[in-house]
Amino acid sequence: MEKQISVKVCLGTTCFVMGSSNLQELIETVPKKYGNKVDVAGVPCLGLCSIDWEFSKAPYVKVDDEIIKEATVEKVLKAIDEKLK
Amino acid sequence: MKKYNQNAYGDYFISKRYPDEAKLIAVLSDGLGSGIKANILSCMTATMLLKFIEGDQIQISKAAEIIMNSLPVCQVRKISYSTFSAIEVDDDGNAKIVEEGNPEFIWIRGNEVMRPEFHSIPSKTFKNRCLKVYRLKLRLGDRLIFCSDGVTQAGLGGRRLKLGLRRDGLIVLLQDKLKENPEISSTELSQYIINQARNIETDRLPKDDTSACVLYFREPREALVFTGPPYHQEKDAEYAKIFDKFKGKKAIAGGTTANLISRELNRPITMDSTISIGKLPSCSYMDGVDLVTEGILTLTKTLEYLEANTPDIDNAAGKLVKFLLDSDCITFMVGAKLNQAHYDPALPIEIEIRKNIIKKISKTLQDKFFKKVNIQYM
Repeated sequence: MEKQISVKVCLGTTCFVMGSSNLQELIETVPKKYGNKVDVAGVPCLGLCSIDWEFSKAPYVKVDDEIIKEATVEKVLKAIDEKLK
Repeated sequence: MKKYNQNAYGDYFISKRYPDEAKLIAVLSDGLGSGIKANILSCMTATMLLKFIEGDQIQISKAAEIIMNSLPVCQVRKISYSTFSAIEVDDDGNAKIVEEGNPEFIWIRGNEVMRPEFHSIPSKTFKNRCLKVYRLKLRLGDRLIFCSDGVTQAGLGGRRLKLGLRRDGLIVLLQDKLKENPEISSTELSQYIINQARNIETDRLPKDDTSACVLYFREPREALVFTGPPYHQEKDAEYAKIFDKFKGKKAIAGGTTANLISRELNRPITMDSTISIGKLPSCSYMDGVDLVTEGILTLTKTLEYLEANTPDIDNAAGKLVKFLLDSDCITFMVGAKLNQAHYDPALPIEIEIRKNIIKKISKTLQDKFFKKVNIQYM
C-alpha cells in the first residue's frame, strides 16, 4: 500500500485566530478529492509560532515534513498535489 | 424566581465559604411585600445576619435573636418586615440552623425525611415571633432544603391545589426526584424545585417571590486544570508527574500544554474530527484526562459563560464550564511561560494574559458558584 500523506492543521491559539479556523473545509474536501491517500487532522499545537514569532507566519499547516506558513486551503491542496506527483 | 409583574426580587440568598475555618454559611431571607421594598428588606436582613454570624463574636442563635427582636413591624400589615433561615455548617457535618418565619427546612437522609429536634426562643419584644434553633449532625449523602413561602404556597387558590403545594407536596416532589436521580447536584435540584413551583401556578405566573436553597453533604469532588507550560522547562517532567498522580477529574487547557503532558507521560493525543465549534478550536482526547482544550481563547470564553450564566453550550468552553461546575474543589496549575506570538499586534483579536483570566475565573467560581479554588503557579 502507498504511504499516506499526513496533513496536520495547527489549532493552537495563534494559528486559530490567524485563520486556521477557516481550514475547516479541508476536513471534508480532502478525503473527497484524494480518498484515503491523504489523512487530515487537527493538532493542539505545532509549537511553531513561538519559534517564528518575529515573522508571524501563522497559521501553520504541516504536510508530511513540509511546513506551510500562512496556510490557506489552496496552498495546502497545492502542497498535497506536489507530493502526489 | 420573582413575583410576576415585579422587576426586583423580594427574596435574598447569600452564601459564603470560609476555607480557613472549613465552614459554610448560607442565609435565605424573604422580605415583606414585593418588588423593591421586599428586595431592600430581605437583602438587609440576609447581609446583616451573615455578617453577624461570620464575625464569630456571638453564637448564631444569639445573632438571629438580636435580628428577630430588632426587625421592625410593617405599619400597614402589622407583621414582620422579613423572615429568614440561616445555616452554619462545618466540613465535619456539624450544622447549626436558625429559622424565623420561613417554611420549616427539609432534612432528607436516604430519601426519608428526618424530624430534627429544636428549641424555640420566643421574641421578647414581639409576641408572634419565635426563633427555632436546630443543631444537627449531618452524614454523607444528607440533603437540606430551604425555601421561601413562594414554594410551599405555589398554586395557592388554583383549581388543582387549593392550599398550594405545601410542605408535604414539596416533600413528595423531592423524594420522587431523588429516587429518579439520587446523585443530582444541588444546582439542578434547586432549579427543579423552582420550575415545579412555577408549573403549578395558574398561567405559570408566580404569585410570590420563590426561592430554594439546597445543601448536599458529600465528599468533595476534586478537579485539576493544568494550563500553560511551566516557566522553567526542566520542571516539565516534575509537574507532569503531579498532574498524573492527581486523584480526581483532570483537564488541560492549552495546545502547547497538551503536547507537553503528552510528551512527558508518553500518551498520544487524538483530535476531534472537526476543527472548530462555535468559533473555538475543538477538543482533543488523551487517556486519563477528562478534557483537553485550547488555552486562552477557550478560557476567555469560559469566563464569559460563567459570568453570564450560560449553561450547556456545545463547544470546548461549554464543556469546561460543565467540568468546573461539576466539581467542588478546583485546583489550577498555571504555567507562567508566555508565548510571545500571542502579543503580536498583528493578531486580529486581543489575547489576555493567562494569569489574569485564571484569576477572574477563580473569583467567579468562588463568589458566584461557591467553589473552593486553589491556584498554583509554576
